[in-house]
Amino acid sequence: MTIAVAKQVASAGNLANVDTPDYKAVEVSFESALDSRLTPPTATNAKHISANSVATPSLREVPGVTPRRDGNTVQLDQELLTMNRAGGDFSAAQTALAAKFRLVRYAINEGR
Amino acid sequence: MPTLSSAINASASALAAERTRIEAAVSNMANAESTRGADGRPYRRRDVLLAADHTSTFDTAFGQAAATGVKVAAVVEDRAPFRRRYEPSHPDADAQGFVELPNVDPQNEMVDLIGASRAYQANLTAIGLIRDLVARALELGR
Repeated sequence: MTIAVAKQVASAGNLANVDTPDYKAVEVSFESALDSRLTPPTATNAKHISANSVATPSLREVPGVTPRRDGNTVQLDQELLTMNRAGGDFSAAQTALAAKFRLVRYAINEGR
Repeated sequence: MPTLSSAINASASALAAERTRIEAAVSNMANAESTRGADGRPYRRRDVLLAADHTSTFDTAFGQAAATGVKVAAVVEDRAPFRRRYEPSHPDADAQGFVELPNVDPQNEMVDLIGASRAYQANLTAIGLIRDLVARALELGR
């Protein structure tokens, strides 16, 4: 869900700057998103609480896009596509999380 | 972690910026034949300069990355020369009978108008998508 939100936010920023000269479109890089999930942050101090959380996904400029004449690299259709896809991913993750919560509630209510 | 509210703020800033562009294009077209402005000279075409807005928001104050918004950097006057038309009967005609008309080209203004309104629509769509996400997240409490 965090990654989906990050993608949605990046695309919203791109869409906002669809007419800004020399603005370079950014995207959430898949590799960084995956890495941040695979390697949890290590505790450098014994007092640190070990966290298994997802690190902030890093942004990078969209590669391989020829800029328009004003130097802008935002592609309207691609951004709307990314937002819709991220919305779908978010819904899928939300469904899975809601199912887990239902199980917890089931246990709390002693199966009733 | 960026938040959805920063994304909505970015889209909202774009709505304001695109509306400014639409207003500029409309006033340019309205004044395409205005030969007398406040300074006694013909109307000069106005152009809106947009710039990416990285300034601090509520999110960045808490050390969180925020979506990049957009702001109107400036509204500048187009320095292109005035159009000239031979019309000796016009009250603003010079000694040779030429009237200086605003440097407005209706075709260009129409293209700007369409581009700005499409960008406005795209950002409205983006706000709708983000709102759907927020609604979905709230369903977790059910």
